[in-house]
Amino acid sequence: MPAASTGTLLRKVGFGGITGNRTVFFIMCGVLVAMLGIPALHNGYYENLFRGILMFSTLSMGWNIIGGYTGYVSFGNVVYFGIGAYTSAALWQHFHQLNLLLAIVVGAIIAALMALILGIPILRLKGPYFGIATLGTALATQEIISNIDWLGGGSGFPVHQIDNFSLYYYAMWGVCAVSLAATYAIGRSKFGYALVAIRENEEAAAILGVDPTRTKVQAWMISAMMAASAGAVFAAANGFIDPPTAFASDTNIFPIVMAILGGAGTAAGPLVGAFVLTAINETLWGHFPQIHTLFFGAVIVLVVLFLPRGVLWLLNVRGGWRGLVNSLGAYRV
Amino acid sequence: MTPFLRVVGVGMRFGGLQALADVTFDVEKGSVVGLIGPNGSGKTTLMNVVSGVYKPTSGSVQFAGRTIADVPTYNVCKLGIARTFQIVKPFVNLSVRENVAVGAMYGREGSHRSTRASFERAQELLEVVGLARVADRQAADLTIPDRKRLEVAKALALDPEVLLLDEVMAGLNATEVDEALQLLRDVNARGVTLIVVEHLMKAIMSISTTVVVLAEGKKIAQGQPREVVASPAVVEAYLGSRFAKRQGQLEEMRRQAEEAGAASHGESA
Amino acid sequence: MEFNLALQDLVNGILAGGIFAVVALGFSLVWGIMNIINLAHGAYIMLGAYLAYTLFTFWHVDPFVSIPLAFIVLFILGYFIQRYIINFVVRAPILTTFLLTFGLSLLIINIALVVFHGDVKGITTSYTGTNFAVGPVTISWTKLWTLVAALLITGCMQMFLTRTKTGRAIRATSMDIGAAQLSGVNVAHLYAIVYGLGAGLAGAAGVLVSLSYSLQPSMGDPFIIKGFVVCVLGGLGSVQGALIGGILYGILESFGSQWIGTGLQDATALVVLLLVLVVRPRGIIGKAVA
Repeated sequence: MPAASTGTLLRKVGFGGITGNRTVFFIMCGVLVAMLGIPALHNGYYENLFRGILMFSTLSMGWNIIGGYTGYVSFGNVVYFGIGAYTSAALWQHFHQLNLLLAIVVGAIIAALMALILGIPILRLKGPYFGIATLGTALATQEIISNIDWLGGGSGFPVHQIDNFSLYYYAMWGVCAVSLAATYAIGRSKFGYALVAIRENEEAAAILGVDPTRTKVQAWMISAMMAASAGAVFAAANGFIDPPTAFASDTNIFPIVMAILGGAGTAAGPLVGAFVLTAINETLWGHFPQIHTLFFGAVIVLVVLFLPRGVLWLLNVRGGWRGLVNSLGAYRV
Repeated sequence: MTPFLRVVGVGMRFGGLQALADVTFDVEKGSVVGLIGPNGSGKTTLMNVVSGVYKPTSGSVQFAGRTIADVPTYNVCKLGIARTFQIVKPFVNLSVRENVAVGAMYGREGSHRSTRASFERAQELLEVVGLARVADRQAADLTIPDRKRLEVAKALALDPEVLLLDEVMAGLNATEVDEALQLLRDVNARGVTLIVVEHLMKAIMSISTTVVVLAEGKKIAQGQPREVVASPAVVEAYLGSRFAKRQGQLEEMRRQAEEAGAASHGESA
Repeated sequence: MEFNLALQDLVNGILAGGIFAVVALGFSLVWGIMNIINLAHGAYIMLGAYLAYTLFTFWHVDPFVSIPLAFIVLFILGYFIQRYIINFVVRAPILTTFLLTFGLSLLIINIALVVFHGDVKGITTSYTGTNFAVGPVTISWTKLWTLVAALLITGCMQMFLTRTKTGRAIRATSMDIGAAQLSGVNVAHLYAIVYGLGAGLAGAAGVLVSLSYSLQPSMGDPFIIKGFVVCVLGGLGSVQGALIGGILYGILESFGSQWIGTGLQDATALVVLLLVLVVRPRGIIGKAVA
């Protein structure tokens, strides 16, 4: 039997492998390119809305690297978002630096270091234990920053805003596009397969030669850099930063729900989730601010209950509707 | 003969239980070592020690100039030792080919391979084990015999010099066993040293060059398959001392019959 | 450090430990017996606290008296949530139930936000702030009675688990679902009871919390972390473990506050957790790092 040609192999490796559905990916690339045109509409509401989508997409993609691909569900990625935000703010407040690119780079570096330091002890925990520990880091970091006067303590400080406000939109777009490209590259690489192997069976992965600790920490560092980049741009666009804003619970949670709904463990899934959930959120609940999080809570509950088997990794229900109905009873007592 | 893989005085204690005690033997390069013994004799424990999953409480395993216990788990395959597991551990949500590719990416030759090359290598190995027809299926959908083949393919993807096989034939029917034996012979013919744990005597007898017998954590016999299996010590371990005595008597009767046959030959000649 | 100050910290820590013990006990029962990390635990604590607040503000019911009521109300809520929601996925991988309880937590907390609003509330009783001296140490009456209540609650729980038929059935089920079912145990019902107990204990803890901490809808989350740390310190599924771990944690947090600074309790919890993880990653949390 002749070996399959390299061409056929590549088609199977690149798309649908661990980057996810090919069609979806190209559609989202198109959507992303189209979004470059939003500032031209000169509509403040839409610019804010779509900049928000770009931000949550980036955060969601960041979470996706450690949560979706590696299987370590982190409830603490908002820490890195906050680090990015505070870097941006501090660079202005203390060093009078307005350069957004500088803020992004410095923020990403600090966040990566933080992920390295925290990751080594915390990534030893598996599954939900890891989740709780990261939740702890989120709460703790907010507390700590509130107590540091150099960073504005509990009341925070303002961030200077430039006149060409649309620059922030393009910056966020750039951060989002780079994150998408990075995720895609990871999905095509050996590193990506190492992550997925760890998610599927960490012991077996180690036996096959994957160094679990090193790989996980690297994944978390990448995740942190994405979150921090989004945070750096956010702080500038927001004009103000304080602990509750930088470490907002919504900013922690929404990206997770978006990734899960859109397809965790795929390259474009987080974007899909960000779009869909923001759209629903805006149209249905835009007028009732308290309902946002309630809605997201309901989404999680429904997703978990009705896709109990492999809830995080299924984009399509296997076996059609009958498969769905059968799977509903699979885990009950 | 330069020692290839050496098990030296290996002991393994779990709390109050001594699972292995002072097990020593050498493995020759290119051989097939059959590891047998009654249930609970410590075969899987020994496999775990040799593959670096357990650190022995006494003694050591030496390979390629290194002590296995000193090497972290994820580096053991880079030394050249690979294994399959009794309870198979495929990456359920990946395709069969992807499963094998991971081994090709991170095994002994992995650092030289690109993603594309790893997938090509995976495809080759799938053909060797006979899984090419299901290469794109999700690992979760495989039958038991195919899952075992996948285990072997994944281990082979690590380009091992030594392959440890833990009860690969369990649950296979007669035809499947023959196919598996042929596969193992092919693998051995390519230069891979095998250590095989099996309960199926026929399998052990047909492929082993040496047999090592464990009972209650100790090595009680080592040598050519036929002589080891017939030795009273081994029969006693499996069936108890009454049968051992009978085995001894059988051996004696057989010897006498041979002498008598030789004598009558001589007479009639 | 001055000896008297250290002694005061120690006493404060022991007094605070009672609450942590009750919080951890509920969390540990559900974790140990049903293998569920209940992220809604904090929400139940919060509900207990708000229940005490409501009873106190509108009907002048002393919080200590509302403890049994909070326990019962939250028990019923927990029973129904487990039986008719969580039960669908109770045997799924632990991450699934983790996410589910997380979603439930969001729902409950945000409903509470709508009903009670986000402003910070507090309970001030006639004995709030009163204390007495024993030698160089000042002991707050509120905290002392809180500790006593906590000891009573954990004591009752211990008796329930060891002396009653249901309690024994619970412990049997935790060891082997299949065997328990074959013995005629209605596992769905039993699981709902266990989860209800967890919620009830959280509710009771919430009442105790309301006496010493301020109230807002998100107040429960830090206690989940602390409950987790206590389980890690004291072990899963045992009353003694929760009690010892809780008090130990209380002491650690008390001394930590002294050194690291007040208003950094969550950070202290995290530091303790990280230290334990670094020093004994396998030891106490055999399950966690398996």
